Amino acid sequence: MIVLDEVTKIFPGAREPAVDRVSFQVTEGNICVFVGPSGCGKTTILRMINRLEEPTDGDIYIKGERVKDKHVNADELRREIGYVIQQVGLLPHQTVEQNVALVPRLLKWPADKIRSRVAELLQMVGLDPQEISHKYPYQLSGGMMQRVGVARALAADPPIMLMDEPFGAVDPIVRERLQDEFLRLQKELKKTICFVTHDINEAIKMGDHIVILAAGKLIQHGTPREILTAPANDFVKDLIGENKEIKLLELTRAAELVKPQAELPPALSSNGCCVQSIDPVQRALEIMLKENSDTVGVRDGDELIGAISWAAIKEYINAINANI
Amino acid sequence: MDFETDRFISTLVDRAPPHALEHLQLVLIPLVIAFVVAFPVAILLTRRRFIRSTERVMAVFNAGQTIPPLAVIAIFFPFLGLGREPALLALTIYALLPIARNTLVGLKGVPREVIEAARGMGMTDWEILIRVELPLSVPVIMAGVRISAILIAATAALASLVGGGGMGTIIFAGIDFFRVELVLAGTLFIVFIAILLDRVLTVVENILTTVHLKSR
Amino acid sequence: MELGEGLLRWFVLWFVNFYDEQLGFIDYIIQSWEQIVDYTANHFLLVFIVMFFSLIFWISIGLLISRYDSLATGAFSVGNLLFCIPSISLFGIFITIPMLGLGRTSAALALILYAMMPMVRNVYRGIKSVDWGIIDAARGMGMTARQILFRVQIPIALPVIFAGIRITTVMITGMAAVATFIGERNLGRLIHHGIARESSDMIIAGAILVSFIALLLDYLLGKIERRIASPGLRYDHQDEIT
Repeated sequence: MIVLDEVTKIFPGAREPAVDRVSFQVTEGNICVFVGPSGCGKTTILRMINRLEEPTDGDIYIKGERVKDKHVNADELRREIGYVIQQVGLLPHQTVEQNVALVPRLLKWPADKIRSRVAELLQMVGLDPQEISHKYPYQLSGGMMQRVGVARALAADPPIMLMDEPFGAVDPIVRERLQDEFLRLQKELKKTICFVTHDINEAIKMGDHIVILAAGKLIQHGTPREILTAPANDFVKDLIGENKEIKLLELTRAAELVKPQAELPPALSSNGCCVQSIDPVQRALEIMLKENSDTVGVRDGDELIGAISWAAIKEYINAINANI
Repeated sequence: MDFETDRFISTLVDRAPPHALEHLQLVLIPLVIAFVVAFPVAILLTRRRFIRSTERVMAVFNAGQTIPPLAVIAIFFPFLGLGREPALLALTIYALLPIARNTLVGLKGVPREVIEAARGMGMTDWEILIRVELPLSVPVIMAGVRISAILIAATAALASLVGGGGMGTIIFAGIDFFRVELVLAGTLFIVFIAILLDRVLTVVENILTTVHLKSR
Repeated sequence: MELGEGLLRWFVLWFVNFYDEQLGFIDYIIQSWEQIVDYTANHFLLVFIVMFFSLIFWISIGLLISRYDSLATGAFSVGNLLFCIPSISLFGIFITIPMLGLGRTSAALALILYAMMPMVRNVYRGIKSVDWGIIDAARGMGMTARQILFRVQIPIALPVIFAGIRITTVMITGMAAVATFIGERNLGRLIHHGIARESSDMIIAGAILVSFIALLLDYLLGKIERRIASPGLRYDHQDEIT
């Protein structure tokens, strides 16, 4: 849906390009996370998609059309793209309702349509419209502001959302909750999302696809699984950090490592609790530790289809480590 | 407009200088007195004990600038008579607000963490004021003093109306006799004095800043 | 008893004397009421004319320099220089310009020039004080530059801008009194003639009236200033550095 083709950005007076011939694609309905250290160009790339910055070279396409050609004014393009930034940037002189209604008002929607949409959106992001519509931004907590920011970006139901460290300004507990709720929302809405973060864990958690950048260059891109199991170089390895094994187990489903009952040596006990076949293997590991057992059963719904063993997990991880 | 250059030069060189000295006094005396009054009062207003009086006291200083200086000079004239006393008093009152307000804002602008850190290191309130709050507020406070200085320099022209001398003598003479050379000459002196004061105060500010950096 | 009587007598005499001497200006005001009304009307008229044009010019200039920073330094240098010049000087210089001469035009023009500094400065500061994140978010959502100026920047800057209007109005009111020396017939004239005729009643009357009007305008505009900002903006009026 979004295609970047050799996109380059050199800021006036800078010696090095901020973005250096970056090319990749974002599939429709996916969350694509741009991740990398400060100054790697991830935010610049994001801002080129809605033309807040213009590329020095290269092209960006949305649904086959060049972003530059799509509209006469960049403003019109931006009204079709949701934009969420870390500071949120709510207009302090307007109520929450007026803030969320901003793009619909620009698009001249009828008043009652706006009102009902605002209420719907606030509920979607987990806020009570009655309580919060008439409040001003200074009366909101950090977490509430971020939610309003997301609601505002979704207001005109844009197919694409650009998010620049949207959950960065809140404490880790609130951040986790916001991430989970957002993922839940995304399952319903299936928007095409470009998400910038400097936190690799957030990238792995949120991303269907990850793009790793450093000093303006694209280092590696792929699914979280691919990044974890086949890091392209030492930089990526360092970025992932020490506990990639656990992260990988969070991404691997139990269905992958399950062995049907018959195959297991009878010596291993098999009366621990169970996980569902779509659950992450990491949960099976947790149960093993809690119940002090080496095996965990796997169910598909109510039916017991097999078990995961501690040995199988080790075998899996070792195989991956051997390949890296 | 016929401009008699000779008259202009002669005013500049002969007639004006004695008044320039008067004018300088008319500026410096109120500036010093205003500082001696406004500065400590503003400091007190930032101390916990007096913080509730801030609005009321600042309203008084504010009134001092809201009431036109001409009116203040005029009001004191019948009581203090001819001479520079009404002007000195009026100019002092006029100069209070910028100094008070900038001192207040400057002190309030010192980051809380810095003060807390100082307190945590065992500095007394007085030491914190002298060694932390004031040094960090020097630029803002001096800006206020400079503004006051320039305001007074210009406004002191009104002193001559009640016999206070100063550059106003020349300027008003220029108006009464419709001679722009006098007005220009007088104005030039005032602008010169204003710029001079601004420079001197900037130097003072630099000295104060270096001094406190050295005393670390 | 005797002491009491004596004190009372003394007090009455003192009061009458006080009234006669110090409060004589009240008599003067009552006597010259019509002239005072005339002077006051002229005074307000001049202030109004000056503020009318100042608002149009200087708010526009302020908005302009907040957009084009390179102009800002120039504008502020001019303003700062102007402030070193006493109002009477500018009046005096203008009346010698053939096209202007004595009277209202010179006074108004000079006052409009003085109004530049506080107005432009406050507009500039107000607009600049708007958080960059807010502007970026507004741009990112598709507001045009014009929409951002009028729907975001100006509403948020309004308290500071209006404070500038208030400060300027009060300043102009005071300076307008000085314009009496170039022919304006306003309340400053009471002071002017009072000094010439050595009538302290006139002087005090003039001074009190001008002060009263200045304070009144400051108060009224201050009330509007407090109401004018959106309730979502918490603006601390104390935080104004000149």
